[in-house]
Amino acid sequence: MSTGQTLLTIGAFILLTTILHGVYSSIGSIGTDISGGQDGILATTIATSYIEYANGLAFDQATDTSDVALTSPTSLTYPPGPEPGETGFDSFNDFDDLNGFSDEKTAGGSARKYRTLFTVSYVDSTDVSNTVTHKTYLKRLDMKTWRTFPAPGTDEFIDTLRTSIVMGYFHFF
Amino acid sequence: MTAVLDALISILLGGMLLLNVLGAQDVVAEDSSMYQGDVLVQEMLITQVQYIEGEFRNMGYGLPPGRQTILAAGDSSISFLTDIDRNGVIDTLTYSLGPTSELSATQNEMDRYIHRQVNSEPFTSPAVVTFFHLQYLTATGDTLPGPVTGSDLSRIREVELSMEVQNPYALYRPQGMVVPGERNALYSTSYWQQTRLASQNFRR
Repeated sequence: MSTGQTLLTIGAFILLTTILHGVYSSIGSIGTDISGGQDGILATTIATSYIEYANGLAFDQATDTSDVALTSPTSLTYPPGPEPGETGFDSFNDFDDLNGFSDEKTAGGSARKYRTLFTVSYVDSTDVSNTVTHKTYLKRLDMKTWRTFPAPGTDEFIDTLRTSIVMGYFHFF
Repeated sequence: MTAVLDALISILLGGMLLLNVLGAQDVVAEDSSMYQGDVLVQEMLITQVQYIEGEFRNMGYGLPPGRQTILAAGDSSISFLTDIDRNGVIDTLTYSLGPTSELSATQNEMDRYIHRQVNSEPFTSPAVVTFFHLQYLTATGDTLPGPVTGSDLSRIREVELSMEVQNPYALYRPQGMVVPGERNALYSTSYWQQTRLASQNFRR
């Protein structure tokens, strides 16, 4: 075999190896994406469960036990946060108690664990995407949910699911 | 002599390459089937969950306050009142889990229908699942042991809904790869658990 033929053969090997490497990488990448899809589903189940929980809470500590309609937001809680003695889901009674809270939950049907971080802010009544530093009749709960177990593999990235809901104050006469 | 040796080495290397390519094709075909199954199952699960949760959230719609909404509450069945077609007439909606024998034609021996019945009309089957479990919670978050009966039905404020969907068609494995006690085929699986599903009508 001449030197030219040898070089040609080596070149063919390199080309074939590159193609095969590309194929296997692509398969691995698809698998990671689909696994990420399942992660997203489980994270969504957890986030929506928290949304259901939050929707069942009172708007504010001031409105939880009073039947009197608020005429001004001045009596609302500021800054948003739990009152003394309110340490978890069993004791929270109003929407902003969730501010700063963090909870880890095992997804049903699997051993995967997901942590959720809660942030509650007052928002601008004309644009709920803007948080404000004063009291309004609107509060927004932002949640970040991500997988904590199993830990990500060396070539795996874990997405954080961000969900938000807005609760407004209302009163039935 | 050299030419013969070259030819033999070429055949050997060519054969190795061919085997490698064929192996890669097998892996691609197997993984492709598995991934398609995974995607299909995830889509099926989300579609079914959206449908069922949407109806569960409307429990009690159109009922006067104080009237009992849930008529029967089992581990895998529930019957409740709602105005399903918004015509002012209260309907009874029943969800129940069918037997596996209804889907004996599929390769998956665990899949079964979820039946939906409005009043006494013939039931429809909007979902196929391998697991469907309902649990009921009170306003204080206490779990009511199922099946819930009598006055406890009025105490239900939240429903925990768990569903698992698997691919009806299997990816079979060689017998040597099956660990004793395992099923002899691979099924794509996706799981959903809504732990605090509450109808807005329960919050009135």
